[in-house]
Amino acid sequence: MEYRELEVSTPNGELGKSGRLAKGKTSKEQNHGLKGRLVAHGRLEQIIVAVAIVVAMAALPSLHIGYRFLSIAITTGYTAIALYGLGLQFGQAGIMSVGHAAMIGIGAYVAAMLFVHFGIGFWGALPASIIVAAIAGGLVGLPSLRVAGQHYIIITFCFCALLVVCLTNGGGLTGAATGLDVGSIGRVFGVNFDKLDNYYYLVLSALALSLAIFYAIANSSYGRTLRAIRENEQLAQAIGINIDLQKIGVFMVSGAFAGAAGILQAYYLRHISPTLYGAFPSLYLALMVMLGGARLIYGPLIGAIIVNFLPEVMNLNPVDSRIAYGVALLVVILLLPGGVSAGLLDIYRWLTVRSHALFGKTSLAP
Amino acid sequence: MEILIQQLVNSLSVASVTILIGMGITLIFGLAGIVNFAHGEFLMIGGIATWFFVGLGLNFFAAVVLAMGVVGALGFVAERGLFRFTLDRPMNGFIMSIGISVILQHVVIRIFNEFQKSIPDPVGAVWVVGGVHIMAMRAVVVAITAVVVAITYFGISRSRYGMALRASVSDQSTAELMGVPVRRYVTGVFVYGSILAGLGGALMVALFPITPFVGSVVITRGFVVSLMGGLGNVYGAVVAGLVLGLVDGLSAGYGYPEWTDAYSLIIMIVILIVRPQGLLSGTLGPKAS
Repeated sequence: MEYRELEVSTPNGELGKSGRLAKGKTSKEQNHGLKGRLVAHGRLEQIIVAVAIVVAMAALPSLHIGYRFLSIAITTGYTAIALYGLGLQFGQAGIMSVGHAAMIGIGAYVAAMLFVHFGIGFWGALPASIIVAAIAGGLVGLPSLRVAGQHYIIITFCFCALLVVCLTNGGGLTGAATGLDVGSIGRVFGVNFDKLDNYYYLVLSALALSLAIFYAIANSSYGRTLRAIRENEQLAQAIGINIDLQKIGVFMVSGAFAGAAGILQAYYLRHISPTLYGAFPSLYLALMVMLGGARLIYGPLIGAIIVNFLPEVMNLNPVDSRIAYGVALLVVILLLPGGVSAGLLDIYRWLTVRSHALFGKTSLAP
Repeated sequence: MEILIQQLVNSLSVASVTILIGMGITLIFGLAGIVNFAHGEFLMIGGIATWFFVGLGLNFFAAVVLAMGVVGALGFVAERGLFRFTLDRPMNGFIMSIGISVILQHVVIRIFNEFQKSIPDPVGAVWVVGGVHIMAMRAVVVAITAVVVAITYFGISRSRYGMALRASVSDQSTAELMGVPVRRYVTGVFVYGSILAGLGGALMVALFPITPFVGSVVITRGFVVSLMGGLGNVYGAVVAGLVLGLVDGLSAGYGYPEWTDAYSLIIMIVILIVRPQGLLSGTLGPKAS
């Protein structure tokens, strides 16, 4: 119960604070009156926003924005994919991790090791990266069944530091501190993925897919189950939810997202090393997901865009931009605990409610 | 045999710094209920401030006192200005402390630079005891730590302030009714823990060079020590810090030095899974769920 309850991503009812498992739109509307209506309205709005975002992002390369800008867009893309996994884990199930870069690292290193030692390329390594990262996610999630809250977060940080030590000492297998070189995807069906535009589209389609999966999970009965665990673990257990199984499940899903992000990063950078997956990248992932907001569908994307594009847009050097992220995180936590996305949504709701009241589009009476 | 004693003496001085940081974390986490991820950066700032004051021509020990003051003031500002707003939502406070650690680190890089900083050995003497060379500074570090540990231990377990503090951890509202200014105690513990971090940093820079990035390494060890020893348990933090220091020192000499960091991490993960309350008993933290 860290934040205010936000209804928009959860059109269906869920385990409320009263402990009643409210199901279906009707009970929600009864419960929330006007808000319930807005959620029903929200469907069309959500689709419009989603289409607008996808069109805008797909149009980016044709605007001739330049190599540098497009590189940042690619970085933003694969980072956002990992953030959607973290968003499910933190936003839905309420379990934060400050070691999420380790999961990305596992995906990236599986891809790189398969390439270097076995000559397996991108498409062959893709399922392997996702599966191995998912299993790793489940394993790292195991302690969370016994250890709750802040103690578990510290464990995730330790796992991350441990992975960096292992990768650095892995000798020829992991390329030690210098890391591994990765090949290129090359040509598939006449599409040359060495071209930055095409790689961007690859990342973008993966991002669109993860957005869709995030949406589907958040709005499924599984999402409701996770939120029930988040809100009240004892109660969820009492009504017959297998908490352990569901938690491990969400860790595996989260790991799978990170694995996909990892292989995309590895084949984009073409060279990976342990420092990419250490403590600081992990902290920045946590920062991004908090900044954007983990519960709403565009939260992780907004967080990734802000953090990756801020230095470029505001012309900041890396040191200043990191100070700016830190300050932004403090401001968000103290003033907008649901993240920027929830803040935007609040403003939007406030505007629409006002316009409805002024122009009488919708009656305010229930 | 001489090498073994040499290793033990050296690891004792490193363990001292670890104990100081672990003790700060164990007090702040276990008694004030705040997980401060920026605690490692507090230590780093203590070290950098010492380096800065020594660079101005100050005596090392005066610089240490000033550095402790700087970090104490920083802790006061952080607690009063930021953490007090998240006391009812500890997870938010935790994430906020990540932001603080990023800010502090880069502000230091901005003001100075990201390179190693070191000061000349403040004592400069080397004692030879039975063939073992002991840098006098290392002995000074161990002695200072011992004194601070003793003060903290008796302050927490024997004085009336310590008793009031422990009372407010176990039952905040009753303690408030008994006239304990709980809010002020939380601030006090936070500032005291920060001062310990400042001292740790100052002693660290006397032993070896530090960079603005030292915080993330130190924070992990600090959490290992505080969780191993049981939160809020000063005695436990000392024991855990010694164990960790010896494991480090011996693995550097006899085991596989490149895996040194891994040992403490593995120990910590195992302990947290098997005994979340720590090896020695402590509080689970006032608001830890």
